[in-house]
Amino acid sequence: MESLRIAIFCWESLYSERVGGLASAVTHLAETLAQHHDVHYFTRGHVQDQTIGEVHYHYCQPHGSNIVEYCDNMSRGMVDNFLRFDKDQKFDYLHFNDWHAVQALHLLQDRNTILTYHSTEYGRNGNQYGDWWEYKEISGKEWYGGLVAKRVAAVSATLKNEVMHLYNVPDWKCDVIPNGIIPRQFRSDIDAGEVKRGYGIHPFAPLILFIGRLVYQKGPDLLIEAMKIVCRNHPDAKVIVAGDGDMRQFLMDRAQDLPVNFVGYIPDSEYIRLLNACDLVVIPSRNEPFGLVLLEAWSAEKGVVASNVGGLSENIDTFVDGLKVEPEPGSLAWGINTIMDEPSQAVMLGKKGRKKVERVFMWGPIGRKITETYSRVVA
Amino acid sequence: MPSLSVGFEVHQPYRLNRHFVPDPKVKKKDLPNLYFDEVNRDLLLRITEKCYIPATTMILEMLDEGFSCAFSFSGTIIEQLEKWSPDALALFAQVARHRNAEILAQTYYHSIASCFQDKTEFAGQVKKHTTLMHELFNTDPSVFENSELTFNNEIAGCIQEMGFNGIFTEGVDRILDGRSPNRIYTCRDLPVLLRNTRLSDDIAFRFTNRSWDKFPLQADTYARWVAQSPGDVVNIFLTYESFGEHLWPETGIFEFLRHLPAELSEQNVPVILPSKVLADYPAAGTIDVPETISWADTEKDTSAWMGNDKQRTAFHALEAARVFAKDKQIWRYLQASDHFYSMASKYGSCGEVHSSFCYPSGEEAFRTYMRILSDYEGRALRYTKNRRAAGTLRTLSPETAFYFNSPSGFIGHTAYNLDQFCELVSIVPGDSFQYHLERGDFTCWIEDTLGDAELAGSIRDCTERQEFSDLVCERREQLWSRLE
Repeated sequence: MESLRIAIFCWESLYSERVGGLASAVTHLAETLAQHHDVHYFTRGHVQDQTIGEVHYHYCQPHGSNIVEYCDNMSRGMVDNFLRFDKDQKFDYLHFNDWHAVQALHLLQDRNTILTYHSTEYGRNGNQYGDWWEYKEISGKEWYGGLVAKRVAAVSATLKNEVMHLYNVPDWKCDVIPNGIIPRQFRSDIDAGEVKRGYGIHPFAPLILFIGRLVYQKGPDLLIEAMKIVCRNHPDAKVIVAGDGDMRQFLMDRAQDLPVNFVGYIPDSEYIRLLNACDLVVIPSRNEPFGLVLLEAWSAEKGVVASNVGGLSENIDTFVDGLKVEPEPGSLAWGINTIMDEPSQAVMLGKKGRKKVERVFMWGPIGRKITETYSRVVA
Repeated sequence: MPSLSVGFEVHQPYRLNRHFVPDPKVKKKDLPNLYFDEVNRDLLLRITEKCYIPATTMILEMLDEGFSCAFSFSGTIIEQLEKWSPDALALFAQVARHRNAEILAQTYYHSIASCFQDKTEFAGQVKKHTTLMHELFNTDPSVFENSELTFNNEIAGCIQEMGFNGIFTEGVDRILDGRSPNRIYTCRDLPVLLRNTRLSDDIAFRFTNRSWDKFPLQADTYARWVAQSPGDVVNIFLTYESFGEHLWPETGIFEFLRHLPAELSEQNVPVILPSKVLADYPAAGTIDVPETISWADTEKDTSAWMGNDKQRTAFHALEAARVFAKDKQIWRYLQASDHFYSMASKYGSCGEVHSSFCYPSGEEAFRTYMRILSDYEGRALRYTKNRRAAGTLRTLSPETAFYFNSPSGFIGHTAYNLDQFCELVSIVPGDSFQYHLERGDFTCWIEDTLGDAELAGSIRDCTERQEFSDLVCERREQLWSRLE
């Protein structure tokens, strides 16, 4: 394989400013590409430039009175850094991630540019248009990025449709490239009974895990309503809701008579413990461009009941590696009951899921897909 | 009308001593008694009485009457028979020298050495087995049967180079692409005999299943199934202990076997030996097996002995133990696939098969295995070239391994040696790493348990995870280079 010189632009990374899932997705992608190519990662942070896992990180320290100004300032800092390393040896491909660095994409639009959408402002807003100025400004940047970039990628077919619909990105220009995962990070060898006991739960009681922000988009309220039905069939079932958000108090009020424990935000290590100790992971999202929790649950060989939306809908085969339900309490309760009626089935679904992760969602093959997208920029 | 070829595998491992505790007073020559369970002898005697003697006596009669079948003996079963049951061995010797029987080759230690990256150990064990068969039975096997029928392209290439005429493996659907398992195929120019999974499991697993609609299975029905099968040859391959041990005499298994030859000739099905199968039938095509297959469980891959983290930990530790293996014999006994099989954590009907070994659980089996491997390496230290490097790289027991925790408890990742520690340092969640770093746990463990003061010194003031990981991994490579 020919070795390429690749510049990656993203406003977060694992080794400086880390906001959400974008950091791990783009950092792992960069590390995968760096196994064969020369990869420079332009991002922000108050640390010295460094090289980790063969990737060269270059940082800028942006400022601004609002998020849009801040990102424009960051983009200019990124471009300054980029030009310093572009002098002697030109970069072959410039890969931008999400709207934050679109201003940099604008300034470098004559080069071989690629823009990946990880989500859209419309989706983050719960599948609704907004009328405030930031919403308009950010969607404007998302539209402009899709227009000037030579090639576009989206993390799921659903998201591809969304940007085609919202921003008139033509079908031929956009590839679907899913996120990857390092399954080893999520599977651990733990005594489930001991972890359950730590939460005051009987070692043999079936434990359902919800992880995510407690916001409307993620549908935690659907799970609470569904539990009212599930508890009739499985009075011993317990739920742990991990994560925090605006809906927490509302949900706690709703869950008063239910065996639901709100543990709030938990550190990664506690997540690993809970993920490996639980019997079932529920993902009741109303909108999910990709749904990384699905890959995490599969990595830990856990059965999954998830909403039939977005990336979840594309990636799950019902009754093969998980169960897809409609995002409403009755359907969700049916899914949970079906799996809990036969615990060995949850184990089999989880094992199949893990196999799918190893087949489809390892970073190696995904890195190759990205380089195919790069090659289409020229062709 | 296809021919039928029947093969039996005869094997017993040296099961590990569940109550093992390190005892420095025990001399090197007494180590086998310390590592391996006393129960091995009792089990062998029981199997001899229930299976080897009655079944072999019957098969000898059948051979005299013109039936033919192949046997594959592991080296460890021969050793055990020599020690504890020479009568059964004498019977097997009669079988082996019988003109209607054929002896297959396998690894002496019924080992998983074919899964090692370096294939020299595997080749060595095959050679040792061939030599044993020649000395004991005066026969030179021409067809190879790997432990658990483990097979892939690389193994095929290796066996082809060693001059065998063919190899047995499982007739797994995914390598056949809809073709029949009842034909000969080639892989890397080596002819491959495929075990007919359905007809073999009808005897091995379904014979006693009362909810099976064909229960009770009779020899005439079975002979008819064989006669009606498409293709050139139906290969039946069974663990010999099925007769009398797994399937009790009360199930009628002996009567079934006794009547099978007559029923087969009634149906005009010729019964032939594997080497004759290879001589009589041309290859019907090729198979490509990049990913390892085997006859284990329903997955038919290596997941039966390398499917969970415990098994993988044990496997890598075993592979790395090569440099410590001054006393190669014990290292090789530890390679038996049975040890790894018993560490499985599977559910359903496969789980029942795994638990038929006399270990209380996969967890317990794993801990015993690691204790013994650790003790074995510890004893070998004084003979290794670079004792200090070896001491730092050796595999640890569950009592001395590093357990990654968070403030609320164990997170399920354990490092049994420096290799694994290196890997886990970049795998575990950041807050777990930070927790141990702040408490100084890493420095303590590296200095006190691994005995590497130099490494402990260099990481003492390190606060960055990446830098920490680089330091540890560099040191690890440096130490390995001193050892090899």
